[in-house]
Order: sequence, then structure tokens, then C-alpha cells
Amino acid sequence: MNPGASRDPATTPVVVACCRTAIGRAHPDRGIFRHVRGDELAAAVIAAVVDRSGVEPATIEDVVLGATQQRGELGGNAGRCAALMAGLPLSTAGTTVNRLCGSSLQALAQACHAIAAGAENVQVVAGVEHMHHLPMDSAVDIHPRVFARSSRGMLSMGLTAEQLAAAHGISRRRQEEYALESHARAARAGDAGLFDDEIVPVFGHDEHGAAAEMLHDQSIRRDTSLEAMATLEPAFLPQLGTITAATSAPVSDGAAAVLVMSEAEAARQQLEPWARVVATAVVGVPPAAMGTGPIAATEKLLARVAGRGIGRGDIGLVELNEAFAAQAIHCIDALGFDSARVNVRGGALAIGHPLGASGARITTTLLHAMRDAAVPLGLATMCIGLGQGIAVLFERCE
Amino acid sequence: MPAAFPHSATLAIEHTDDGFVTLAFAVPDHRQNVLTPGVLADLAAVLDDLENRPPRRRPRGVVLRSARPGSFFAGADVARLDEVRRLPEAEIARLCDAGRALFARLSRLPWPSVAVIDGVCLGGGLELALACDLRVATDAEHTILGFPEVKLGLLPGWGGTVRLPRLIGPGPAVELAASGENVAAAAATRMGLVDACVPAEQAIETARRLVDAQGESGAVAARRRRQASAVELDPLEREFLEATSSAVILGRTGGHYPAPPAILRTILAGAAVDADAAGAIESAAFAKLARSPVAGQLLRVFRGGERNRRDPGIGSGDAAAEPSAAPVAAAAVIGAGIMGAGIAAAHLRAGCDATLIDVSAAALAAAVPGLLDEAAWDRATKRTDPARALALAGRLRTATQLAAVADADLVIESVTERTDVKQQVLADIERLVGPATIIATNTSTNPIARLAAGLSDPARFCGMHFFNPVRRMTLVEVVRGPATSDATVAAVVAHAKRLGKCPVVVRDSPGFLVNRILMPYLHEAVEMAREGVECGRIDRVARGFGMPMGPIELYDMIGLDTAFYAGLVLSAAYGDRIEASPVIPALVKSGRLGRKSGCGFYRYAAAASKPRMLGPDAGAAELIRRYALPARETSDRTIADRLLLPMLLEAVRALDEGLVRDGRDIDLAVIHALGFPPFRGGLLAWADTLGPAEVVRRLEPLADLGPRMVPTDRLLAMARDGLAFTA
Repeated sequence: MNPGASRDPATTPVVVACCRTAIGRAHPDRGIFRHVRGDELAAAVIAAVVDRSGVEPATIEDVVLGATQQRGELGGNAGRCAALMAGLPLSTAGTTVNRLCGSSLQALAQACHAIAAGAENVQVVAGVEHMHHLPMDSAVDIHPRVFARSSRGMLSMGLTAEQLAAAHGISRRRQEEYALESHARAARAGDAGLFDDEIVPVFGHDEHGAAAEMLHDQSIRRDTSLEAMATLEPAFLPQLGTITAATSAPVSDGAAAVLVMSEAEAARQQLEPWARVVATAVVGVPPAAMGTGPIAATEKLLARVAGRGIGRGDIGLVELNEAFAAQAIHCIDALGFDSARVNVRGGALAIGHPLGASGARITTTLLHAMRDAAVPLGLATMCIGLGQGIAVLFERCE
Repeated sequence: MPAAFPHSATLAIEHTDDGFVTLAFAVPDHRQNVLTPGVLADLAAVLDDLENRPPRRRPRGVVLRSARPGSFFAGADVARLDEVRRLPEAEIARLCDAGRALFARLSRLPWPSVAVIDGVCLGGGLELALACDLRVATDAEHTILGFPEVKLGLLPGWGGTVRLPRLIGPGPAVELAASGENVAAAAATRMGLVDACVPAEQAIETARRLVDAQGESGAVAARRRRQASAVELDPLEREFLEATSSAVILGRTGGHYPAPPAILRTILAGAAVDADAAGAIESAAFAKLARSPVAGQLLRVFRGGERNRRDPGIGSGDAAAEPSAAPVAAAAVIGAGIMGAGIAAAHLRAGCDATLIDVSAAALAAAVPGLLDEAAWDRATKRTDPARALALAGRLRTATQLAAVADADLVIESVTERTDVKQQVLADIERLVGPATIIATNTSTNPIARLAAGLSDPARFCGMHFFNPVRRMTLVEVVRGPATSDATVAAVVAHAKRLGKCPVVVRDSPGFLVNRILMPYLHEAVEMAREGVECGRIDRVARGFGMPMGPIELYDMIGLDTAFYAGLVLSAAYGDRIEASPVIPALVKSGRLGRKSGCGFYRYAAAASKPRMLGPDAGAAELIRRYALPARETSDRTIADRLLLPMLLEAVRALDEGLVRDGRDIDLAVIHALGFPPFRGGLLAWADTLGPAEVVRRLEPLADLGPRMVPTDRLLAMARDGLAFTA
């Protein structure tokens, strides 16, 4: 395998730094970021990633921010606003992109495409979501004609996951075992300090209301058990359903950022890149099968890199966003991944799923895990509402 | 130009110089345009003529409209349905085929057709509009579109299930047709059901413009091709739509109503094939549903509602005469408790001014925000409309002095359920109001005669018993005291209708009608619990029968203290049948008051909106055991019989005593006040499905339980003579 055989450093995108906030519960009384605005979270990670990287701020051309709810505190082009709040030069532009749950992975992909095209070079990619302040189902008015080719039910991601579980015989017990393992991995990683490098301290409020730097993900449960999970009611399909709150990603508040530039620019600024972005892919699937997006996106991506001698078996680590346990299980099964290599530090079921931030969050966690275990190739992939998938392949820089 | 057609009784044909032909419908002898056989025959005759025209006389387009403002077509003629549903299935299917074939001719004309929709466009009327190539709706508030067939246990049988999914997609088609909900013109335009929504004066012009633009562009031809073929739908999407819709339907119907799942199946099966094959599927499905017993019962319930709307509340009830009394302009409600506030809110919602009076300024201040919230609640957005709340605030007056009743035409007293307090308040009201003012009392337990005792003019006094919560419960018992005049009854009945309620006139007697019928149901449940039947099982059996809530859950919701006091009144009056159970006071004494105290027969978790049931309360079970009765045979059938037959016996006694003017009022009342399942037609209609002889037979093994299970003489006579409960 030699993925970089004939690459041009001037148009090869690399990641130079990445970081994220702790992920909070989107809870009006207990959420650690209940008193912190979404744009403040975005500005915090943008400032931090610039600061940590050592990049010359004057060279940053654009901020590309993923966010699904671009209104209220994240309205008016939050990407530009956050760049101004973060103290970036006035010459740095800013945009906000929306591919629902895949927003900040899309932001990363298109920033890399700009680099590959010889357009904007040094860019801060970020993602943010504040699901407490900006709930995902409010102020959205989907046109009824969208449902002409699908159905209203597909707006309920939980129902689409129920359908996957039913169609592929994924039992409630298996989903709960998967979720339990996600919590266990995240708890082990947190306790071992493996998230310390990636989490940027941001002031928030603890459950008692005291202001403090927030350093730990709020949704990871160390006390849960299969017995406790078994008592929960189905969350989406009363009586008949197999999916509960325990096997669905929690609603969350958080942000993450990734600094990208060309390999040549990194060398010029004497920065040490973490990884090259080898390939990206997006794809549409039936809206009702939104959970299968990662399968179609990953297959498309693998087809794109097949000519460069990269195969499924070369991928050492995978971050597959866990919207639902049933959905993650189905994707892992269908893609033939070894679950020991997927979400090694736990997934969104435990850490949380701040929609627009999750793409940059899993990228950050993936790159840290690749660095710590010296894994050459890693994949980040996500399912997306209304039936889409996205995948990005990273190659670690030695 | 002279009309080229034979005379049409239901439609006028207009020609314009620019080549448009307009068919303007006005169906005589009906309040609304309905698709009578005459309309269909006239339409067929017009189409015969149009189809045979020589090319030089070809129209540019055909416009269908109503000559009656506010009524495009309200649907098929419901009066004919009873006759139709008695035909053999094949014959019913043939009638569907014929209607669909007639409508289909509109979309085979060599020129475009367009429906101009102003006013109600429902059921068969919408199918007629869908058969046109194009649709223009007026933006008037009275313009509504929908398929209400499901509410009668039917499905659209003249091409609705074929054309709708081809026009707006199978998912939205299922939503519209299986829910029976109406949509306004703007919403109909968004979903693609109509092509344009315009002010009424622009409608005809818009229709002609659409015909010209869409006809020439090929859009009409493309639409006809789409209408003729199968619907493209991803197999995964189809599977998902079927699964999620089935789940939604099951949740809404409890599996008791065959029409919604039949609509889902018919639309999905019809979407997969071409339009002709889909039509055959539709006809067969309609015929099957039309002959189902549930459709028969729903039709009966529908007719009961229609009858109630016409019933002035006096006389035989079948007189269509409108009451002559002037409508109530200003109402006053005394007592700012839950009921008083709910009644005042109902007035504001209906556009009546209301004065709410309470001696306590604090009670008024506490009641007003919730009252306005309720009055300005927008059902569509599931939110309070703040602008509407502000506007309504100006129509609400509050006062701490009873003197504020002075200018009201109707005063509704809703103070605490104490006879002496009520009597005093009523006497004070009478002194303050003019001689024409009607005085009503919202009481559930006080006899009207006793409350009227202190009044100098009891003729203008009656009971007006609302049910809790007022916003949701549609029944109002209008209780006629011995001295109440016809004029008073007619005015209160008319006013209740204006509030959107369904009034039933009952004679003064303990518990009136509804609580008297309800009490045996509640009482029997506790007796069975004492015999060792689990509360959860009793409730499950009741819900399985179709009741919205089991009797034990209902106890907890009513509140055990409230139920206890109501029970005292009823057991005093009907003690031979309804003994006061020792369990209820014991529960009250132990602090178990039901949902409101977090614990009754069941335990509840406090939640922001409504308490969530956690499970049976061990302490309550222990109390019940203290009053244990010998165990008996308890199959689910027996449990159901024991809950329902004593209710039926009480209803038969109420009939015997002439408590209501017409037995149909009993079925109406139990459906509206108790949620008795409409698919069973009502308590008496359900009993008729068993027959009096079977009722008597089922009572036999229960006879040792006492007088409450003993058939009345009338029931025995009915069983002997093979008579029906509902004439």
C-alpha cells in the first residue's frame, strides 16, 4: 500500500490540529453548557485549535462551521460570527454548512476539496450544536411534498432505526449489550486520561450551578447495566419497539474544531501534521433507511481508493457515529468491520451526539486514537437524516 | 348561446365566447351540494354531449364549480348509504365502478378540466375535483378539503384512493384519507392537492389561465399519464411507510376500526399497479367495509349527531324547527373553579362575551391565565395564540360582586357542590337579573327541584351539567326541573350548541343520566377487585371492549373523594342496586385520592404535564383485601359482562322512567361523556347486537349478585317478544 505515491504536497490536505469541548447533556437544569451559547462553544474551539497548532493566524483564509440549526444564537452565519469572536484576523472569511448530522464532516471534506483544488488553503473546520437552546425539531417546517417520495415517519430517526432493527433481526438485548460496551469503552478512555489532550476546557456550570471549567463528557455512564436498561420503555414505538433512551444517542451540546491546510503549507510553517485526508465520499440512500448511510458512503469511498491499493482490511481504526445502537450494529455487520477496531474509545451513545459538531468530534477522537496506537489508516463515517451517508479516510503522518 | 343539453335539474351550463364551458352545480332540496343520483345522471348527460361535439365546437376547457357559495360538494348522499350497505358486495363494488368510471370521463376529454373549489369539498366531492385535471381553491375560511369516509368506517370509493396517491404521494395520501382530517386551501396547495389558492373573485380567471398554461405546456398530458400508471416508490420506503403507518393506526384505533388499515392497504396495493387495476382494488375494499358492522354503527352514530344538531330539545325532538328565542349575547359564570373557568373559556372560544364572578379576587386571578390559555389554544399549532389571547381578554370580564350578573341573558352558577350555598347564590342571582334572564346551574349531584325551591320563577331555571375537562368533553346535560319551561330548555340547548357542545335534555333525577349509568360500571369494578380480580386486568378488559379508560383508572382520574360524594347521592337514591362500597372511603381516609395525590388504586409519578402511571399501589391492594368478597368465576367475558350489563340495566330503567325523550339520546350521551366506543354504536346499540334474550341469558349466572343484575320487567318483555333496544 502506498496511498501517497504520486501526491503533490501543494494540493494534499493535512490535519494540523484538532480539539473539542467536553460534550454536555442538552438538559435545561443539569446540562453543563445550559448557560453557554452555541456560538461561544464554537468560538472557544476555533480559538483553541489555532492556539494549539501554532499556525500563523494571518494565513487562515476561512472558517467552515457545520451546524444543523442555523438560527437564533447560531443564525446569521455562525461561522463568520465565531471567527470574529475567536479573534481571528478580519481577513479570515467564515461560512456555515449544513448536512444535518454530517455537517462538520462535510465542512472538513469541502475544506479539503478547496485545498485539493488549489483554492483556499489554511482553514479552520469546526462543528457546533446546542440541542438544548436550539432543539432539533422546532422551527423546522418540512414541505409536505418531501413526503410524497417517502413518508412523514422518516423524520423520526428512531423509527428508521426501528425499521433497521426489525429488518435485520437486531434484538433489543444485542442493542443494549452494544450500548453498554460503548459506555464501558468511553468510561475506560476517560478514566485513563485518553480524552485529556482533545478536550478544551470551557467554562460552564455543574449540576449545582457552580461555574467551572468543563473537562469531562457528561453523558458517559459508569453505573449503567443490562438490568437497568431492560426496564426502559421503547422510546419511539410504544410497546412494540426495541429502541430505548439507552440505545439512542443522547441529545447534546458541544463543539469541535480541526485545522487543515496543504502539506506544503504545513511544511512552510514548520507545523507537524497529524494526518493526510486521503478521500471523502457522500451518498444518498432512501430516507427511511437513513441509518445505512455509512455503508453506502464507505463502499463508495473504498471504490475511490481501490486504485491506490487501499482495501477495507487496511483500515485500522473506524469512528462510526452511533446515532442508535441498532444502526451502528447493522453498519458494522454490513461493512464487515471488526468491532474491536470500531469506536475504540466509545461512541456517541455514551459521549453524546451534538449533531453539527459530531463529525469534527469523531475526527478528533479518531486522530488521537490513531496517534496513540500508531495506526496508519482510519475512517470516520456517519449516517445522516433524510437518507444520506458521509465518509472520510485519514492516513497518519509519520 | 342556447344550451345544447336537455334540462338539468342540478347543474347549469354556461358558455363563454372564448370557448370555456362551465358546469355550475346547485343541488335542490339539500342544505349543501351532495352527489345524489340526479347529479351523477346530469353529469353523465353533459359529458355525453361534450364528448360527441364536432371539432369546431370543442371547448377550450371545462370548468366545474358550485353555484352555491360555501359548498362545492359535501360528499355523497349519506342518506343513501344505509340502503347501499345492505346490497351484496358485488353490487356495491359495481356502484363504485360506475361512479369512478363516470368521473374518469372528465380526465379523458380532449381538453383540460378544472375544478373551482369554494367551500366544503369532501369525500365524493373531493373525488370529483380530483378527477379534473386541475384544481383551484378559494382562500376563504369555509374552503376545506378532505376524505371523511373513514369516520363512517368507509374509504373513498370513487377513485379517491387511486388518484390521491398519484397526485400527492402515497404517504401523504394515507395520512389524509386514514385520518379523515380536513385541510384548508393553503395547506392543500402546499401538499399539491390543489394547484392554486386564490381569493374567490380571482378563482375563475385563475382556472382559465391554468387551463391555457398547463394544457399547452403538456403538463396536463403528463399528469394524465401519471394518473394512469403505477406510483414510483422505493421498495424500502414502501415497507417503512406500511410499518410506521400501521403502528400509528394501531395506536389510534386500538385495532377496533377496520377502515384505517383498509385505507392503508388499498392505497399501497393500488399504488403498485396501474389506475384501472387500482380502481378494482378500491371497489372491492369499499364493498367489504360498507358491509362491516362497524360501518353500520358509525353511520348510526353519525345520524345521531345530525339528529342532535336539529333537535331543539323540546317536543318529540324530530321537529326541525329552530328555537325562536333570541341567542344569548352575554353570559355570566359564577365560581372561578376548574368548571367555572372551563365554562367561561368555552364561551370565549365560541365568540361569546363572558363575565366570570367569584367572591375571591385571588381565585379569579388564578383562573384567568389558564382560562385565556385554553380559550386561545390553537389546535393546529398546539400552542396558545398570544394575539388571540389578548383579543379574548377584552371579551372577558371578572368581578368579585354578584351584581355583575345584572346585564347577562344567561347566568351559569358553578359554585361549590353544597346545596345551601347554591340555593343562596341562585336566589341572589334572581334578585339581580332581569325577568328574561335564564339561570342555569352546573351541578352533578343536586336535584334541580331542590335548587329551584328558593326561586320565585323556577320556569327560567334548569341544570346545565358540563363535564370535566370542559374543553374536551362535548356532552352537556340540560336538566329539566319540574317547573322548567320549554322556552328555557330550548334556549339553553341552543346556547350549548353554540358553544360547540352536544346537549342532551334529561329529566331531573339523582345522578341525572350520565353519572347514573356510569356508577354501576365503577361500582362493579370495585366489587370484582374485592373478589380478588387484579385492577390492571379489569382495566385491560374494559379497554379491550373499547372504553378509553378502565373503571379503576377512571376512579383515579375522577378523584376518589369526588367519586365518594357522588356515590353517596346515588346510593341514597338507588341503594338497592348501588351500595356505597367501603373500599372508596377507606382509600380516601388513607390519603389515596387518585392521580391528583399521586396515589389511588395505582401509583403515579409526578410529571410536568400529566402524571404517569407507575403500577398498582400495594397499600391500596392491602385495603381492598381487608374488604375481600368470596372469589367467583372470572373469565374476561364475565368481567366485561359485569361491567357493562349493569350499565345497560340502568339505561333500560332510565328509558322506563322517561328520563330522556328518546333512547338515542342515551347512546349519544355515553359516547360523548363516557367515551363509550363509537364503533359499538352506543350502549343500547351494542345491546342490540346481543339482543335482549342474550342479555337476559348472560345475566342469569350473575343473579346471585343482587338486584343490580336482575333484568327489569321491560327487558324480560323485550326478550320474550324479540324487540330491539333501539327502535
